[in-house]
Amino acid sequence: MEIRYHSAVGSGLEDRLASTAGMDSVKGILLLTTPDQELLSAEFETALRELEVPIFGGVFPELLYDGDKRDHGALIVGLSSEPLVTTVPELSDSERSFRTSLDPDLPARGYETAFVFVDAHADEVEAFIEALFRTYSVELNFIGGGAGTLDKDQQPCLFTNDGVVEDAAVVATLSEPMEIGVKHGWQKIDGPFRVTDADGSRLETLDGKPALDVYRAVIADHAGETVTAENFFQIAKSYPFGLSRMAAEEIVRDPFAVADDGSISCFGEIPEGEFVTVLEGNSDSLVDAARTAYDHALSGKKRPDGLCIFDCISRALFLEDEFDRELAAVTAGDLPTFGALTIGEIANDGAGHLDYYNKTAVVGTLRET
Amino acid sequence: MSERQQRIQALYEISLSIGPKEGLEATADHALSGYLQKLNCSVGAILQRTTGPDSVDYDITATIPAAPYSNETLVAAIDRLPETAADHQSFVEELPITGKIDTGSHYYLMTLPEFGVLVLGKRGGRIDEITRSALKPLNEKLAGACRSQLVERQLRTERNRFEAVFDALPEPVVNTVIDEGVERVKRVNQPFEETFGYSEPTARGQPIADLVVPDTDAEEAEDITPTTLQCDSDPREIRCETTDGISAFLFRRVPVDSPSQEYIHLYVDISAQKQYQQELERYERLVENLPIGVFRTTPGPEGTFRLVNQGFVDIFEGESRATFEAQSVSEIYVDPQDRQRFSDQLLEQESVEGIELQLQTVDGNPIWCEVTGIAVEEAGETVFELALQDITERKERQQQLAVLNRVLRHNLRNGMNVIKGNTSLLSEGIDDTTLQTRVTAIKQRVESIEQLSEKAGTVRSLFDRGREVNATVEMGRLLTELRTEVEEMYPDATFRIADFDPVSVRADVRLKLALRELVDNAVVHNGQPKPTVTVTVCPSETKRADNWVDISITDNGPGIPDDERRAIETGEETPLQHGTGLGLWLVYWTVSLLGGDITIDDHTSGTRIVLTLPRAADEGSVPTTSPEPN
Repeated sequence: MEIRYHSAVGSGLEDRLASTAGMDSVKGILLLTTPDQELLSAEFETALRELEVPIFGGVFPELLYDGDKRDHGALIVGLSSEPLVTTVPELSDSERSFRTSLDPDLPARGYETAFVFVDAHADEVEAFIEALFRTYSVELNFIGGGAGTLDKDQQPCLFTNDGVVEDAAVVATLSEPMEIGVKHGWQKIDGPFRVTDADGSRLETLDGKPALDVYRAVIADHAGETVTAENFFQIAKSYPFGLSRMAAEEIVRDPFAVADDGSISCFGEIPEGEFVTVLEGNSDSLVDAARTAYDHALSGKKRPDGLCIFDCISRALFLEDEFDRELAAVTAGDLPTFGALTIGEIANDGAGHLDYYNKTAVVGTLRET
Repeated sequence: MSERQQRIQALYEISLSIGPKEGLEATADHALSGYLQKLNCSVGAILQRTTGPDSVDYDITATIPAAPYSNETLVAAIDRLPETAADHQSFVEELPITGKIDTGSHYYLMTLPEFGVLVLGKRGGRIDEITRSALKPLNEKLAGACRSQLVERQLRTERNRFEAVFDALPEPVVNTVIDEGVERVKRVNQPFEETFGYSEPTARGQPIADLVVPDTDAEEAEDITPTTLQCDSDPREIRCETTDGISAFLFRRVPVDSPSQEYIHLYVDISAQKQYQQELERYERLVENLPIGVFRTTPGPEGTFRLVNQGFVDIFEGESRATFEAQSVSEIYVDPQDRQRFSDQLLEQESVEGIELQLQTVDGNPIWCEVTGIAVEEAGETVFELALQDITERKERQQQLAVLNRVLRHNLRNGMNVIKGNTSLLSEGIDDTTLQTRVTAIKQRVESIEQLSEKAGTVRSLFDRGREVNATVEMGRLLTELRTEVEEMYPDATFRIADFDPVSVRADVRLKLALRELVDNAVVHNGQPKPTVTVTVCPSETKRADNWVDISITDNGPGIPDDERRAIETGEETPLQHGTGLGLWLVYWTVSLLGGDITIDDHTSGTRIVLTLPRAADEGSVPTTSPEPN
């Protein structure tokens, strides 16, 4: 495995990609970058098309490399086995059956792991994740997350040999197995509340009342703070919602905005009729969870050759300076590490259901063939 | 959150995923996804059970992952399913079944009552027993939803089949429903739109009685309104206004169920059939009223009647058609051998025309009939279709003519020979000039009568050749020959042939006979010192010039006596209106037998007789705009 960090995305990246692709040991490239307009240039698109090995990856708010987070640059990971890359377009098309784009026989053909990157601004990310699970269940181990920028505008953010695409998903399957740890560390402080009215990711009423009223009451009781439209984002990053699962951690849904009608918008869908809880976290619980994820990923019998980390950008925003502790927790060993801060995480631990997570730390181990 | 609370919440959320979707597979798929998500399971399947007398099969309705046989947990669970009907009962009684495979994964098989089995699998964990027990009512709900989908699928299949037939029918069809006592259109097919001029969006919801309007002029108008027909009505004929006017339909109103609020109206257009039927009836009336016999028989020496018309009954003096149902065809033959011969001839030739047969009436009176017919194949057997005309009178007239001819030609001529011989002897024995004059007069009269007898023989020979003409005559050559003969016979007369374009007519030697008769008459009965006869040939002035030719013979004589002329023009003689001989009749009959016409015109200096004859078939057409002959 060849991991290269290139600090200037807009300069010389094409050459670095070409030189990596030209290495005998490299059969494919995983490319993680921070946003840069040069990535949308025709020259870069041409460079991607001219690569002689498969390439996949995405644009993320920040990168993780060598125990640090980087707010600019590119990570070029040369893979020692050739990935099979599938691009699923039109990820905002609610009428589209994503299962038809997925080959159910990949596990039977020896593929065990899949990197999955989605355009975080697409509307049907969860439907696509559900299609992945229904097609492959736990026959593939999934790791990845939402790509894009924290801006509201959707723009090309996924790398393929056809160029940089948007409103899509990229699935790169590898024959190497991967041990994956998934944990978030957020704890319930109140609930459950029944979702009596919701529209996709917009939570309108809980127990028949405006969602903001319920949420505001919980925060007031628990922290003595008054939630307003102005301070909502600042407070909400500490108090996400949770969707319960039997015998598993709750699925976190990160609220980020309120509307005048008292509805709350979240990253990720909240199905009407289900129950949500209000969660809270602190630096210790989150760092402990990240460490648990790391430990789980390294619990395999064979020593891996590298660590892949996808941690939620909102955890970094919540932990602020304490995020260094989390990074230290997931890079405790001497293994080479790479990863990104994502907008939503995609992972399964090989046991249960595959979900689209928020505010979660995902650690995967890579072994070279 | 307590474990119990979490379980209740999860079960409630699973219940939300159980409900009707777009079909059985979607319903099962959605529910299975809910089970796996809320119970955090890794694999699952819903299998539908099909039992036969000696077999039991489980077919996968939904499965996660999509390729179930690549997952060892699912494979282990599916292996627990019974393979034979004998194992089925014990398997069902054993449910729910739990199992574990070597990798540590657990699987669970739970009954879906009256549908099949739910399989759940979990890698690296298990579903506790309390939760499994609590799933029972959800599983029953899921089974119910799947069963409902099966019923709906069956109904949908039936509906699709019905709609396929509905749309494929080439006849107008309407689906109606009773709404507050009014039968309104629910659906119409394309032929209905085309026939009645109402598109489905226009017709939908409208009272059917407003769209299909009965023809109020029809005799049974008050009884044919579609909606007034009873549910169990037999097909009825109705007449309705369509885009093409009034059309006749065979109409049927069928209830969808009983008692029904929904009906299917079927309109089979029988307009063409009705028209054909009316034409057939007209044709049958025509045949029935023909004065000839039309009948059908089977072949053979005996033969049976299949059909006779009234004309046949009349000819054979039967009481009714039934008279002939009981007798064989051979019974109408005077000589049964004739029947055998006729049948053999018709079978061999397949058609006959104008066969004269001596038959007999029901009472045994002999009659002569002329029979024309064909042999046809019908329903695997040969049938004779025949037309018969009573020619008894004609045959008797022919007999009379034959006798009269014999008398005229033989007896009369022999008598004249005797008179002629005695007159010669008498002439030699007397010297008295006065008496000698008498004797000469007798001689002349005898010669005249002999000529008349000869002409009568000629007339008979004309008719012996009949109307069949297979030859053509080139008019230039014919007239040249005629001129040679006339000039030799009548050196004092002048015979002129006007110039004309070469032309041939459809005729035979009889034409020359007729022309010679006319020229003889024109010269002999001329009365002028210098008789002059002119013949012209030109395209017809009275018929189509490209098909007919006028041959005109003009003389400078005194003209034809009125009585003789009228007899020819009217075609018959009476005691008060008759000619003096056979000459003009010979011409008349000749032209008639050749298929032409004769016209007698007054002329400034005599008479003009025009024979109009058909142009020979291989003659080129003549411009009709060129009336003047060359």
